[in-house]
Amino acid sequence: MSMAAKTFGGQRHVNLGFAVLIIALYVFLLVPVVTIVGASLTNGLMIEFPPQGLSLRWYQEFFARQDLVDGLLMSLRIGAITAVVTSAIAMMAALAGQALSGKLSGVFQLGMTLPLLVPELLTAVGLLFFLYKIELGKTVAGLQFGHILMSFPYAYVSISAALRQVPSSLEEASASLGATGWQTFRLVILPLVMPGLAMGAIFAFINSFDLYTISLLLKPLGGNTLPLALFDFLTYEFKPTAAAAATISIILSIAGVGLVQKLVGLQRAF
Amino acid sequence: MMRSKKLTWALALPALALIFIFMILPITNMVEMSFRTPGSSEPFGDDYTFMHYTRILGDGYYWGVLWRSLSTAGIVTLLCLIVSYPIAWHLSRAKGFKAVFLYACIASPLMTGVLVRNFGWMIVAALNGPLNESLMALGIIERPLRLLFTQSLVILALVHVFVPFMVLPINNALRNIPQSLTEASASMGASRYQVFRDIILPLSFPGIQPGVILVYVLAVAAYVTPALLGGQMVSYMPTLIIGELTGTFQWPFGSALAIVLSVSTVLIVVLFTRLTWKLNERARA
Repeated sequence: MSMAAKTFGGQRHVNLGFAVLIIALYVFLLVPVVTIVGASLTNGLMIEFPPQGLSLRWYQEFFARQDLVDGLLMSLRIGAITAVVTSAIAMMAALAGQALSGKLSGVFQLGMTLPLLVPELLTAVGLLFFLYKIELGKTVAGLQFGHILMSFPYAYVSISAALRQVPSSLEEASASLGATGWQTFRLVILPLVMPGLAMGAIFAFINSFDLYTISLLLKPLGGNTLPLALFDFLTYEFKPTAAAAATISIILSIAGVGLVQKLVGLQRAF
Repeated sequence: MMRSKKLTWALALPALALIFIFMILPITNMVEMSFRTPGSSEPFGDDYTFMHYTRILGDGYYWGVLWRSLSTAGIVTLLCLIVSYPIAWHLSRAKGFKAVFLYACIASPLMTGVLVRNFGWMIVAALNGPLNESLMALGIIERPLRLLFTQSLVILALVHVFVPFMVLPINNALRNIPQSLTEASASMGASRYQVFRDIILPLSFPGIQPGVILVYVLAVAAYVTPALLGGQMVSYMPTLIIGELTGTFQWPFGSALAIVLSVSTVLIVVLFTRLTWKLNERARA
């Protein structure tokens, strides 16, 4: 190492320059999130960073605002249903995908991740017309279907990655010992893919919680998700309550990422 | 493998139905909608027409907005690549706890909603916000800059939104480059720059290409960021489309705009793939 440093005269400067660059880039990545959390703790009347004194008054204000709390509750409810339904469907699809081979398998993978690859805007516009046609326009059920669709690829990718780690010999052994397909699934495969399944459910929940464009177009009458309520709030009143609302969703995301890390390790997650 | 064909398709059925019914059908529906006549009491009429397309293609205003959307997305993609490459390289070298920590730093913006992150930039870029304050403290500017509701801020925020989408595929490609290869060429006297230019960059291209395509496609159709940070003065295609659909209830015209945007995006992606095909082949060889 020291030999190398001597041979390349400027290497140390290059390394230092690269380190500064990397730090600057990570600061860039984290700045908006840190700013929001900071601004939500202000004791002053305006959204600003660094905050003027520390307090939790804007969280109090948030929970006193019926429109924002309703939005939060609706997002939590839709996110929970999305997580459960999506991971069940994705578990089945991942089992099917594993059984396919060759070209068909590639097409299947692509199809399953389609909602992630096609811009949300197009799906949202299409769904707006389609739900109107089948008389689910402006209903909670319609919005729920949209969220399940948009979150499905996250669950599918996580679960099929976990399924690939299960050696097929285990399945064969279980079958040769006389277990039925269902018994093999419940007693052998399911326990092994459980972390991946949980990860898929968490990602589906977080994704649903954050969706904006599709919720805007499929918004049910008289109902708002938290991001929609937050956007309206930002347009009409620019107060630290918004920072508190945003921090609540950041905390949910961090908790989710932390949980995934605990269950499977992030490196394997992506 | 041991499962029967029937069972496999039965297991796939709910997912296939979900994607077919709630995505393929609706998007086909949108294509049909774009040829409908405008309605008077309903959002669309009963007959079919080409009028929406002739109206868009005959009006310089729409060409201007289309160009703004396509070019802004191009700038965003390029900046995103420049920002993401060093991060991906750094990440591909990290091990153990450090790697986990860095993954968390990159994944946490991915896991925080676009709206929340854009709102963060609103605070950062405010007239008396931290960005202006630090630029003034460093003596780079004398008076605070008006950053909110400018195209630059839209670009900055979009780059931030899409960095993880670029970092992760490039990181995967970089991890696949055998360390022995770079070591061998360094031991044969190649400088760091030569190793990067002749080995690392070409071999990471299979990660760059999908990253660039994904970020471009998503950036062209991004709605929230221009709507929140772009202000009322400038229009982008997505804000125009949503305006037609929710504000004026011109569903056929809104669909035609969405189709024009999608077709242009696909053409650009095809062109890009053609132009970079050779680079990708070289990396595989």
